[in-house]
Amino acid sequence: MLSPDRLALPDYEYLAQRHVLTYMEDAVSQLLENREDITQYGIARFFTEYFNSVCQGTHILFREFSFIQATPHNRASFLRAFWRCFRTVGKNGDLLTMKEYHCLLQLLCPDFPLELTQKAARIVLMDDAMDCLMSFSDFLFAFQIQFYYSEFLESVAAIYQDLLTGKNPNTVIVPTSSSGQHRQRPALSETSALEGVEASLFYQCLENLCDRHKYSCPPPALVKEVLSNVQRLTFYGFLVALSKHHGINQALGALPDKGDLMHDPAMDEELERLMAQVPGLLTTTTSGTESGCPRTSPRLGSPWRPLHHPRKVDAESDGSTEETEESET
Amino acid sequence: MTPFVPPPGLSCGGSCHEDKARTPTMIPGKYRTNPGRITQSNVNCGLHLVIQTSSVPEKSKFELRLSKDSSFHNRLLQHDIEKNYSSRQGDGRVISPSPRNKPSFVPSTTNMTDLCGLELKSGANSLSAFGDSSIQTPTKSRIRQGCHSAGPNVSGDHVYLGSSSMPAFPVLHRSNEEKILYSDRLTLERQKLTVCPVIDGEEHLRLLNFQHNFITRIQNISNLQNLIFLDLYDNQIEEISGLSTLRSLRVLLLGKNRIKKISNLDNLKSLDVLDLHGNQISKIENVSHLCDLRVLNLARNFLNDVDDLNGLSSLTELNLRHNQITSVRDVDNLPCLQRLFLSYNSISCFEDILCLADSTSLSDITLDGNPIAQESWYKHTILQHMMQLRQLDMKRITEEERRMASIVARKEEEKKRESHKQTLIKEKKRLTICNVARKWDMQQNRVAGGPSSSQDGKDSDVPSQDACQMNGSGTCVYPEETGSLDPVITTALQGLAVIENHLVEVDGDTLFLYGSGALESLDRNWSVQTAGLVTTVSFTFIEFDEIVQVLPKLKIKFPNSLHLKFKETNLVMLQQFNALAQLRRIDQLTIDPQGNPVVNFTLWKYYVLFRLSHFSMQKINGTEVTQNDMIMAERLFGILAHVASSELPQYRLLSLLGEVRKKQFRYLLEGKGKKSGGVSEEGNDSKRLCGENTNRATLNYTTRDFYTEKLEEIKEKKKFCKTYIQDLVKEAAEINMKNESLQKLWPQLFIELVRDAVVEIRNKNSYMKLCLQRITDTK
Repeated sequence: MLSPDRLALPDYEYLAQRHVLTYMEDAVSQLLENREDITQYGIARFFTEYFNSVCQGTHILFREFSFIQATPHNRASFLRAFWRCFRTVGKNGDLLTMKEYHCLLQLLCPDFPLELTQKAARIVLMDDAMDCLMSFSDFLFAFQIQFYYSEFLESVAAIYQDLLTGKNPNTVIVPTSSSGQHRQRPALSETSALEGVEASLFYQCLENLCDRHKYSCPPPALVKEVLSNVQRLTFYGFLVALSKHHGINQALGALPDKGDLMHDPAMDEELERLMAQVPGLLTTTTSGTESGCPRTSPRLGSPWRPLHHPRKVDAESDGSTEETEESET
Repeated sequence: MTPFVPPPGLSCGGSCHEDKARTPTMIPGKYRTNPGRITQSNVNCGLHLVIQTSSVPEKSKFELRLSKDSSFHNRLLQHDIEKNYSSRQGDGRVISPSPRNKPSFVPSTTNMTDLCGLELKSGANSLSAFGDSSIQTPTKSRIRQGCHSAGPNVSGDHVYLGSSSMPAFPVLHRSNEEKILYSDRLTLERQKLTVCPVIDGEEHLRLLNFQHNFITRIQNISNLQNLIFLDLYDNQIEEISGLSTLRSLRVLLLGKNRIKKISNLDNLKSLDVLDLHGNQISKIENVSHLCDLRVLNLARNFLNDVDDLNGLSSLTELNLRHNQITSVRDVDNLPCLQRLFLSYNSISCFEDILCLADSTSLSDITLDGNPIAQESWYKHTILQHMMQLRQLDMKRITEEERRMASIVARKEEEKKRESHKQTLIKEKKRLTICNVARKWDMQQNRVAGGPSSSQDGKDSDVPSQDACQMNGSGTCVYPEETGSLDPVITTALQGLAVIENHLVEVDGDTLFLYGSGALESLDRNWSVQTAGLVTTVSFTFIEFDEIVQVLPKLKIKFPNSLHLKFKETNLVMLQQFNALAQLRRIDQLTIDPQGNPVVNFTLWKYYVLFRLSHFSMQKINGTEVTQNDMIMAERLFGILAHVASSELPQYRLLSLLGEVRKKQFRYLLEGKGKKSGGVSEEGNDSKRLCGENTNRATLNYTTRDFYTEKLEEIKEKKKFCKTYIQDLVKEAAEINMKNESLQKLWPQLFIELVRDAVVEIRNKNSYMKLCLQRITDTK
């Protein structure tokens, strides 16, 4: 986390910018919330666990939406968690509606707003026909762009509208929360002969935006790459291109490449183990003892990208032994 | 069946036998100059019955005799007998001498039946003769003694049918002797007459008999203005005519003719007896002026309906046997009607003769030979509705029968009331459900149109609109239904102005709950038996979130509930099913697509199976759960459970698990802590006990209200934490800054200190002196 930038900013601002404060605040509020439980096994232990889970990206599971969207790391973690948990749904080949995807999202985050899901679905389904079925991967990549870059996209939408109506984009004051008033306009412009805006002009504006933007935005180089392929493009065309660009996916780093989307051997292994228990639910206990094996899977490596198989707190596993070891370290 | 009707094989007197009824006896007493007795004798045994009247003001005695060789045929003997006896039982008068006395005429049935027996006994082997026997027409007293020998039997020899000046008509002359003997009567029966003869010099005739001829037209009698009794029985008359001058006529017998229409009776205002049986009349008409008419015989005609009987204010007897009557109306407009004979018609339901119940004077009715008489309820219904009745189908009504009838009627009434009550309850239930549905719709629309964003609103409008339509059509149907309801119920329903907003109903093993208010019923003290019986709980028109809150209660109050049904409960999310995991056991789950959008999801069933796998569910929405379903469910959501349980930090896990689970979980942790390594047996046991996979327990559902509450709480905490951390960090940063500046300052400081020290000790001697000085100073 230490970087040369550190010295350029006062400590407090630095911490805030790096979202350290967010996590500290959250850690304390979690501590407050669960203080009875936590006091039993020690505050130091709690903080260890907390920051471990932040590093692993498991801290966002079943948390409130305000927390999930609070930092880019949280967003990426959420995307990853969603992918991991429901990859099997995609693998099964089911095509689902926007609402059903929303339900799945809500399983992980009970107050996940419908609006975001709808916007993501709109990228896939092109505005109308919102009740159509979508494949898991289409939805996931569109959702990734929409969710991770949601503030950026709102600004882009505003710029796009201004370009459409012929305003000088350089004078644009980027509204970050006024996307609502732009929504009605596309209907007007779509009827015009030339659809969309000129790509190069659009890029200039976006570059400008990226410089100023305080929220995360896709790397400008990649945006340039996306825009350089076409002369003109529409807003949704841009979003679709973004969502399909594997470079951006890589840069974001939450999800594997599209080709590997259904591939998660460690989880598959885990699933196989779970499946073995299904037919006879009564025999669960015996199979539970075997659960130690996946622990051998890599735990090291980059902080949160790899698939994690951390301690198993689940009653079936004997993971608690490792737990205690960890707490001693 | 009247006992007086001879068995068909024996009744040689003709089929219309009984229908000729009592006409001969009905001659008004006024015209029997000698108040006397009616003597009735059985033809065969010569039984002589004398009816002695005592209470008649005139002290009249009528005598009626049956004579075997009387040329008067007596086809209708039994009726006459019945007549006489019933009369005798009353005030002793067969026919009251004047209309004024009519009200005192109350026939009784007892003795009549007695008589029946007697009559049948005595005449059993000679009914054929019986048929041929005739009733002697009432005569004046002065010819009474001659009844047997001479009687009214006028043989052909006594009558001379001379050829008159008019070629077409024979002229009748009687000898003076005859004239003197029977000055006021003339009998011309069985004379093969085709026309009425001209009767000269007999203006004083009061009684004229043309029975059994072939007369086609009533003629040549207009001069007989004193005629009281005219008998044209068994002729071929097609139209009633030629009677307009016979203003004194009291008895007109036109039975067994070919009359199609009742007409031309306008001037016969004094008519007392009118016999039209055995004709072809299809309508009762032109009789409303006959205010003195007491007996009307219309048996064996073609009548279909009895209607419009106004004006017959003296009618006491109406014979309508052997018609095709289906309904009787207006009978209650006949103030004096006592006997009504409706046997052998087509009356099939009591409603068609309901007017009989309104008549206060009726005492004797026959309805045998009608479809209605076959009904099981026939007798008691009739008796119940006609308390004034003394005789039904020729049988006297006993007190016992009346009592039975009233008991049966009361039972029927109770049954009706019960069913009425049932209907009322049903209707109330329907209205309540309807009301709940309406409330629900309103609520749904409000929720949909309210806080949600425009898009959200648009989407969620769709199902609610459907619901509206559904209920809209429902309410359209309801009024019709109510229209067909018993008016009593409708009025009773109007009393139910206050309609409940919820409904709780236990039907067999199912507990139905409609409307959120119904959930309160779970607080009620249910009897152990009822609670034990209930295996199915059905929720309708209740917000699922509200149901979630009562699930623990449900678990306690209805421990055997295995089947849950949800309809119109706003199940929209998969996670809502998490809430059901807290129940003891569910075998079956039925989620009606109506008002539960979640059912439209492809994954919902698998999610239910996955989340509620510890129940080993048998059926979902009526479909058996297969092993493949279970595997599929696990395949789809197994990882979710795994991630949820294995990747959550321990403190989160603890907070997500409920209180009870927490204990178990802690116990497990401790157990494992002691026995590091293998899984302890107790751990597994307790896990099995708790039933639910712990890795699933983290997937729980907090209702929206609770969740927003929780979010509020979190927000508060966050706010606090934010300031707290802010302060901390600021402090830390400050300390850090101080520290850093100290670090920066420290080397210089150190150098300065060293330099000072070096400067001080540079001159060794002076420093030594100084040191010594310091030592001495201290001493």
